[in-house]
Amino acid sequence: MRAKLKRVLLRPIPYLFSDAGGNFITKLWSKRLREELGGTATDKFLDLLLAGMDLAFALSKGYRKNIRDFEGRYLFRSADKRVASAAIFKDGDMHVDPEGAIDDWDVRVTFKDWKALRDFLFSGDQDILDSLLENKVEVDGNPNYIFKYGFMARDLGRRLGVG
Amino acid sequence: MAHITLRDISLKDYGLTPRVSHLKNIYFKAMPEICIERPRLVTRFSLENGLFEKEHMSILDKARLYRFVLKKRTPIVRHSRAYEERMEPFEFKDAPLFAGSTTSKFKGVPLYPEFLALTLWPELWSISKRASNPFHITDSEVKELNYEIFPHWIEHSILELARKRCYEENREKYGLEKHAPEIKLFERLVFFMASKPNCISHTIPDFLRAIKVGLRGIIEDAKQRGEGTADPSQGEFYEALVEVLEGIITYSRNLAGEAEKLAQREANSTLKKELLDIARIQRRVPEFPAETFREGLTTVWICWTAIHLENPNVGLSLGRLDQVLYDLYRQDIENQSIDLQDAIELICCLWLKIGDHVPSIPEAGEQLFGGTGSNQAITFGGVDKEGNDAVNDLTYVMLRATELMKLRDPNPNARYYPGINSRDYLRRLCEVNLETGAIPAIHNDRAIIKALTSKGETLEQARDYGVIGCVEPGSNGRFYGHTGALLLNLTSALDLALFNGRHRNTGMDLLISKETGDPRNLSTFEEFKEAFAEQTRWLIDQATNLNNILGWVHQDFYPTPILSALFEGPMEKGKDLIQGGALINSSGAAIIGLADVADSLSAIQKVVFEEKEVSFADLLDALGKDFVGYGALQTRLMNPEKTPKYGNEDTVADTNVTWIVELLDREFGKKENYRGGSYRVGYWTMTNHAGFGRLTGALPSGRKARENFTSGITPVSGVTPSLIKALNSVANQPAQSLSSGVALNLKFTPESGERILDDFVAYMEGYFDDGDGKRDGGMEVQFIIEDHTTLAEAAEHPEKHPELLVRVSGYTAYFKDLNPQMQKEIVDRTEYSLSSGSMIPYPPFPLPKRTRR
Repeated sequence: MRAKLKRVLLRPIPYLFSDAGGNFITKLWSKRLREELGGTATDKFLDLLLAGMDLAFALSKGYRKNIRDFEGRYLFRSADKRVASAAIFKDGDMHVDPEGAIDDWDVRVTFKDWKALRDFLFSGDQDILDSLLENKVEVDGNPNYIFKYGFMARDLGRRLGVG
Repeated sequence: MAHITLRDISLKDYGLTPRVSHLKNIYFKAMPEICIERPRLVTRFSLENGLFEKEHMSILDKARLYRFVLKKRTPIVRHSRAYEERMEPFEFKDAPLFAGSTTSKFKGVPLYPEFLALTLWPELWSISKRASNPFHITDSEVKELNYEIFPHWIEHSILELARKRCYEENREKYGLEKHAPEIKLFERLVFFMASKPNCISHTIPDFLRAIKVGLRGIIEDAKQRGEGTADPSQGEFYEALVEVLEGIITYSRNLAGEAEKLAQREANSTLKKELLDIARIQRRVPEFPAETFREGLTTVWICWTAIHLENPNVGLSLGRLDQVLYDLYRQDIENQSIDLQDAIELICCLWLKIGDHVPSIPEAGEQLFGGTGSNQAITFGGVDKEGNDAVNDLTYVMLRATELMKLRDPNPNARYYPGINSRDYLRRLCEVNLETGAIPAIHNDRAIIKALTSKGETLEQARDYGVIGCVEPGSNGRFYGHTGALLLNLTSALDLALFNGRHRNTGMDLLISKETGDPRNLSTFEEFKEAFAEQTRWLIDQATNLNNILGWVHQDFYPTPILSALFEGPMEKGKDLIQGGALINSSGAAIIGLADVADSLSAIQKVVFEEKEVSFADLLDALGKDFVGYGALQTRLMNPEKTPKYGNEDTVADTNVTWIVELLDREFGKKENYRGGSYRVGYWTMTNHAGFGRLTGALPSGRKARENFTSGITPVSGVTPSLIKALNSVANQPAQSLSSGVALNLKFTPESGERILDDFVAYMEGYFDDGDGKRDGGMEVQFIIEDHTTLAEAAEHPEKHPELLVRVSGYTAYFKDLNPQMQKEIVDRTEYSLSSGSMIPYPPFPLPKRTRR
């Protein structure tokens, strides 16, 4: 309910401000995410990332264009399966299931720890490879979905001025 | 049989013309740029014609798509802008002798969203700043790829289509075995790589047909056959050939039109004439038979750009252009319409055009396999179909152009038949290597022809082989061999044998393959060898199964009408190459880690079982601890005087190598590919020996975890002090078990003097032919002629050596483009002195650091 209300309140913003303006507001409201991206990744990383994406979708027309006509079901879970979150993209919107209660995912990302997940999505060079080689991150399903997600994650980082 | 008329085969009096020097400078200054023209046009046509909704892609649909793209692609006669190292644009005056371009950029990165282009998606905003091999891309190109192109391909890449077929719920529908782990194994990276998600390519087209009869002649042939067949699939096939060939002709005419427009605007009379010449030529060829050397080269070039439109730029190779174009060259020289300088200039310009693209490799791929070019091999010399000396004037002209240009693409390979090709020719090949430091590779015709005939090729077919990609031999224009289909990490089979069906990377709790016995309980080395053989068979099963699954997906979704039109076999059979239309069909497996595995087996044989100096339990413990606490053991294992090492003419070690290559040849030989062909095995590794090495733990050979493997068929670095013994150990291997080629990578210290060249030639003669016929002779050899100090400096300060060319393990690369792991491998490679024939000892080089731009 709160998420819905938030969306309704934020809806006019992209029409009142340019994309750059939307990015600016997103940046203001994503301080903790920026800290996660630039510093130590905590157990809040995924929630913050998904929240950040959700905010950016609401505030920035350019960012929301990423999910126009896009359907994808993502499951993120920890290797010990104690933590899971799902992101479902449909009808131009993103819905987050904090329990990760979906079976028919398009792609499933299993991560050893939060740093591994963050590095896999955001860092370049050796980090992605190390994540895969050392089994810190495992991807099941259609990897093209995670490539798209990787773009959106890094695009968000770019809009936030991180990386 | 060709006759040499050149007074001086070195052609030392001929250098680079001002035009070529200018173009070469631009070439080295320009950074690669991502080109979105192909994916844009392919996506648009696919959307407009409902191709994404189809269960299968017909060859006619594909042909119409390519015809559309050929018609719509930008006809580039002159580039004008590129980007330099800091990704700032610069303008330049372009004046090549050939029109057309593989992409719309001066040095382009073509994208194939049907294959692995989407792996670049996450890094589109950062790809121009990445530490290894950055590509320029504009903001609008990023947005177009992200919003308009890539999303349509999410469910339609070859790998995803194959992955769906591997789902358990699809097994019933497609008749595949249940619980097959091929895709998962592939995704683990450490077992094998299968390259069909990225390409097939890896072949040599039949240019001679296009040159002699023109595309119009091929069209007429196709039309006649189409009208004469009652088989609808054949009818569709011939119609598809007509579509794509008409498309290529349209593209050529568009180039002519563009050249004429530019000529109209050109004030300089010389440049105006050049443009009008280009226009005139483009209006003739490749539609009609070539009548001049330049027209022949143009036919090759235009067909080449079309082939790359359809087939990813990985390993497509040019074949024996010195043979294919010789008649036209000789005619023009004899009638004095060109002279030697003209011929060299034309070839230099063509070489630059051929190198106008690089493959797209994502960030993670750069760490494992970075620095590769498009591996477009070209082949010189050797014998003709009758077995006579085929070296001709054009061979030397092309060699001279290669020597002057020092480019990584095309990737030069020279054939040499001991006793038939002249010593002067071999000497010249060695001389060019000393001058360039890395090219050409030299291939032994006698050994290779024996290997190819052992696989069922006729003598004429085998004699007409060209080199494909890195080093793989294949009969020109008739061999569809996907020589790089599989890259098998042989050390994984060793891991599975050491750990009873488990692999250290996937965890000791997970039974990955099958149990072949705990080696701690084995009594004899023969038992362990059999366990290794059993795991190798299992690995081969998985890899070939996956290759075949991927091949079926290619058959359903990726027909190849353009290549089929320019190939011997499909026209006669009425069948696409991917359906088995070629005269010779096979798939190739390249083996990584041969020397490391062989030395490991030798160590186990000698140290564990024969001398019983260490128990298997302790050996496994040492491996698990990466030899920490086992320093003395590791030293002993690494010492060639105490433990048999391949490359020292040691009977134990060399016998183990022979046993392995025969095992692999035999086991792969039992498999049939999806086109009804066989599998062939080769020992060339590109940069995969560095990549796979990074994935792999310590080995019984004494190698520590994550260190590079050894390249190709080369013995392990640092343990073979004698050049002659190293050459002999390799030359003793049986040619018929090496039918997909080998790369023996040697490094020599640069030394000067005529004596050095004589020594070089003598070593090569002995390597290829020991004179008493007891062995097949070394199959191939390639060189880096540079000392480790200079290479180390080049790793630390790449700006000081921007054009330093090295031979990786198969192809040629610029040292500065290689990832740090690969640079270290090259610096650490055994370095020999030609004058003494001895190894130059030096300490290991630390892993270079690379920082983001």
